Amino acid sequence: MAATATYPPPPPYYRLYKDYLQNPKSAPEPPPPIEGTYVLYGATYTTDDVLPSLEDQGVRQLYPKGPHVDFKKELRALNRELQLHILELADVLVERPSQYARRVEDISLIFKNLHHLLNSLRPHQARATLIHILELQIQRRKQAIEDIKRRREEAQKLLKESLVTLDGH
Amino acid sequence: MDIISQLQEQANTIASLAFNTFGTLQRDAPPVRLSPNYPEPPAPAAAANPPSENAAAAAAEIAEQPKLMSAALVKAAKQFDALVAALPVSEGAEEDQLKRIAELQAENEAVGQELQNQLEAAEEELKQVQELFNQAADNCLNLKKPD
Repeated sequence: MAATATYPPPPPYYRLYKDYLQNPKSAPEPPPPIEGTYVLYGATYTTDDVLPSLEDQGVRQLYPKGPHVDFKKELRALNRELQLHILELADVLVERPSQYARRVEDISLIFKNLHHLLNSLRPHQARATLIHILELQIQRRKQAIEDIKRRREEAQKLLKESLVTLDGH
Repeated sequence: MDIISQLQEQANTIASLAFNTFGTLQRDAPPVRLSPNYPEPPAPAAAANPPSENAAAAAAEIAEQPKLMSAALVKAAKQFDALVAALPVSEGAEEDQLKRIAELQAENEAVGQELQNQLEAAEEELKQVQELFNQAADNCLNLKKPD
């Protein structure tokens, strides 16, 4: 249910744009883009979208920290750890069923680490996509240049031929 | 779907296989003997009423399930490893990527400038040809004697 009873009326700024067609400068400029954080419907949002590190979310980080992480190796290691923990959970359920909580927590920790690693691969993917798009664009532009050159030469040739034809009369 | 999304899907699949496995086993497991003092747990009620072949089939299926489910789990884990091997990630690649992006941007700028030049020259020539065509059409009209 909405907090207010009715929709608010539209803001009265439309009066400022009465003479826009005659003089585009008589109306105020649009507001500049927001930087930093902003509040929307009572919630705070940020314009700087970055993946929060695991410590920020209060989750222990299992793979070694460092400037460059070997993603393949760490992903495979986490997969093996996961399998081992699942097996451990099965064992615990058979022998000491009341101690399942710790094992389940470990398994969820491994999953959180796994997903965090995969999410931190996304910027790399974004840059690779950008490179691909730029290469495609350069290729298309070069193709367009070739086409224009060819057409211009054809047009020049036709003009010269027509000149010869006209002069031949 | 791109490789990272496939990896994420595979991780979620492994998770759902794991909890389905444990849930099914827990639901279908026969009761366990707690201590030698207690009497043997009663046989499942299904064995008492319908004929025992039904119970035998059910027991066989209950024994098969862990094998099938664990096989599925291991297969999913192997699939995850295969997807990881297919990742096109190279070590220390961030600076290389940024350098390449800068190079490509510069080249794009240059090629765009050249394209602009060619376009302008072509439009200029188009204007000239149109002008010539207009003159030729005017001459044709003037040469035609009006009746």
